Amino acid sequence: MLELLQLLVDGLLDGGVYALLGLGLSLTFGCLKRLNLAYGATAMLAAYIGVWCHLRYEASIAVVAIIIVVAATFIGWYVEQLCFSRSDDPGFQSAVGAQDRLFMTDNGEMVALASSFAIWMQLEQLAVNLLPRHLNPFPSMPIESSWMIGGIAIRQDRLLLTLLAAVISTGISLWLLHTRAGLSWRAASDHRTAAYLVGIPVVQLQTIGFILASALSGIASFAVLSLDGQVTPMFGMWVLFKGLVAAMLGGLGSMLGVLRGGLLLGVVESFSQSLLGAQGREFATYALLLLVLILPRHSDSGRRASWGIRI
Amino acid sequence: MNGYGAAPMFAPDALRQLLPDFDYESFAHLVGLFSDITIMSLLALSAYLMLLVGRISFCQQAFFGLGAYAAGVMTAIFHVSLAVALVAGVAVGALTAWLVALPTMHLAGLHYAVATLAFGEMSRILLGWWTWQYPSEDGPVGPAGMEGFRDIRWCLENDVTPTEYLILTIVLLLVALGLLMLLERLRLGIALRMTGHDDLLASSQGIPIARVRQYAAALAGGLAALGGGLYAHRTTYIEPALFDPMLGVHAVGYALLGGLGNALGPLVGVLLDLGLLDAMRIFQGWRMVVFGGLVALLLRWRPRGLLDEPTVLRMSLFLRRLVSTRRASNGI
Repeated sequence: MLELLQLLVDGLLDGGVYALLGLGLSLTFGCLKRLNLAYGATAMLAAYIGVWCHLRYEASIAVVAIIIVVAATFIGWYVEQLCFSRSDDPGFQSAVGAQDRLFMTDNGEMVALASSFAIWMQLEQLAVNLLPRHLNPFPSMPIESSWMIGGIAIRQDRLLLTLLAAVISTGISLWLLHTRAGLSWRAASDHRTAAYLVGIPVVQLQTIGFILASALSGIASFAVLSLDGQVTPMFGMWVLFKGLVAAMLGGLGSMLGVLRGGLLLGVVESFSQSLLGAQGREFATYALLLLVLILPRHSDSGRRASWGIRI
Repeated sequence: MNGYGAAPMFAPDALRQLLPDFDYESFAHLVGLFSDITIMSLLALSAYLMLLVGRISFCQQAFFGLGAYAAGVMTAIFHVSLAVALVAGVAVGALTAWLVALPTMHLAGLHYAVATLAFGEMSRILLGWWTWQYPSEDGPVGPAGMEGFRDIRWCLENDVTPTEYLILTIVLLLVALGLLMLLERLRLGIALRMTGHDDLLASSQGIPIARVRQYAAALAGGLAALGGGLYAHRTTYIEPALFDPMLGVHAVGYALLGGLGNALGPLVGVLLDLGLLDAMRIFQGWRMVVFGGLVALLLRWRPRGLLDEPTVLRMSLFLRRLVSTRRASNGI
């Protein structure tokens, strides 16, 4: 019984990490409807730049944190400009051009998806060129102990990350629900054209949101890596996959949903790991994702109209 | 990925004496490269079919892998001929693709992409668990879980040289290409394109879009499995890790890069990538940096690829005019 409880607690705490990774993804994919496959690579390249500064100039951990967030912001801006904005259109400045972008079709989304994938490859290669070694040390925070409560170990570092995820997601949720700026975000997410017609600068909002979400990926990657103490080239893919599963389980665009999805993913992983081993854990994760997607409850969430912010 | 890596096989001793200066090494390299291009083209064509009906699928590599395993099992364990094995592989791929399409086809856009990604990973893990060793004269053969599936030796046993095998794959690719081009002239092909452009409009025209999409998925699965079967017999060794999502994502990338206007588009994409990759040896570690940027830039200006619908239309008009002026000048 105690073992099961320990598995549950471990899973929940791992889930907090996944939720933290999924937050920015849920924002970009769900609220902004920008299918940014380069999200994980953005986080990874930013982390590599931070590590490079740490190794080269012995930057302290606080400086590394700032560098990572700033780098993630700039990389996000680059990805946005290259894959998702069409500001080179001749008619872009006119209302007609803006309208074109507002009515971005499914095909446009697919193309953006593909080009962001190309940028993913590019950023990953850049990171590997920056630090060619497989394992790179990350300036770590010395939190390694765990609390024992009634025979159950609770790892402090994971608890910290879970709390961070909870705080950020609650904060964004409250901001979206209770401020005027949040209202315009929700409007732009619900119906781009209608929002544009009532005077909300939809395109600028989407750009800003995209860059903010990229900064969020920097925060998440710093938090996760500084507790792990190392970074490998697999990090980008891991961020994207785990974050995407968490975000999709909870419903894209929902901030508290990411939290739920992350926790569910963590629990499923920890139980299937103990039952079926490492490969079984991966299998269970994907089976869960497929099941959630094809179950009738979600049958209409595949439609673009219902993507939006759900709290 | 250089076939059997056996340059002498290309040239019997008599030929070597006749043409001592001929560069057999780079000829073997070229044959390997063209085999890769042909097989990747089949996979890219299957991704293209899915894009045609408006779905971005990240699991074509799973059908590729299933076809490779099925065809490999048929020749290595049941000792049937390559043709029968390829047909069996195609059947397995098409059937699985159809079964996967049944519950997933109502999903759109990202949801479909992620669902197919999940299925692709699940089938990769399942292949990694599949062990089915069968005793033979040279020890056990058959899929051995994560170890992979060794000794798919049909080509070696039947004295098929890599060059002959390359010709076979090219012929199969051309047949597939011809059938696809024919398909696009039929009602079904037009229905595919209509479904992809606007499914609401298509369904109000009386097109059963769900069934059309399932047909497209089954066809695409069969095409990918054909490529997989050919791949397995070329390399003689396959393992589940070969069929990871990167392969499927590349196939989608080729189709998007080459263009959705015509079945030749994906081939252009494959040629550009594999050709450029080969040409860009000078960039070494920076190859992916350059190529990734190029693809993103290209897609910005030509969102439906190099050979998009207007280009194809313009080219066919040009050809038609060329033919008619020649006829007029010949006095016909």
